[in-house]
Amino acid sequence: MTQTSVEDDRELLARAQAGDMSAFEALVDRHEEKVYGLALRMTRSEADAAEIAQDTFLSAYQHLSEFRGEAAFGSWVHRIAANNALMRLRRQKVLDIVSDDLAGPEFTDRGSLAEVPESDWSKRADDKILDEELGRAIREATDALPEGYREVFLLKDLEGLSYEEISEMVGISIPAVKSRLHRARLALREAIDAFYKEV
Amino acid sequence: MFNCKESIDSLLPFLEGEMSPEDEEHLRQHLNGCPPCVEFVNTYRATSGLCRKALVKSMPPEVAGRLRAYLRSKLETK
Ligand SMILES: [Zn+2]
Repeated sequence: MTQTSVEDDRELLARAQAGDMSAFEALVDRHEEKVYGLALRMTRSEADAAEIAQDTFLSAYQHLSEFRGEAAFGSWVHRIAANNALMRLRRQKVLDIVSDDLAGPEFTDRGSLAEVPESDWSKRADDKILDEELGRAIREATDALPEGYREVFLLKDLEGLSYEEISEMVGISIPAVKSRLHRARLALREAIDAFYKEV
Repeated sequence: MFNCKESIDSLLPFLEGEMSPEDEEHLRQHLNGCPPCVEFVNTYRATSGLCRKALVKSMPPEVAGRLRAYLRSKLETK
């Protein structure tokens, strides 16, 4: 083991800023999984994800001198990657703003839940291993979300960005971000509920 | 007191602790008398974690290799 393995990002970053290529490569090593994963979830394309990872680290390198180090290197590249993925999505398709097809709970006229959940499956969510079929159902349900909802959900619940960051990146207000997040979660909850009902 | 719809509509601020004390009281009263909504809250809360498990995927080694080669070619010529 070299000393590099115990150095933290900050030290690596300082060395990279001083022109040490191997320090930058070590930073890439540490963060490529997360960057690639984010890009893959956002674009659903392995080819796009690979290119976004390339663009992200290249642009991080080109802007190294501007990085002040108040934020963590990880969240910095994370934001660059999220922006790159959003830009690519923009290019590829017109944002789907139709939201009427989003699933959610149904209510009676008096506002009571029309359907009682079959079972409380939240306890099974703690299982270490995710059922393969459930995983597939969730991926399909996520893919089926309207684009504007999918990206907000992924950026918040998968990537852990703040409402402020998402609002800025996606170009909608914070209340709109929260509303989309809630609707997306309801639709996904519905999909998981349906999965457990079928079994 | 909230009905089911009002309760479910307020889940996001509730789970983030951003609800007004009065509204939170309305919600708690509803939850005390509505087991289906309690299950709904539990499953809503579990949804993000399940999705995270389903959507996490690691980087294939050949992609990592290409990334490294790409960066090297870009950065060394500068
Ligand atoms: Zn209820």
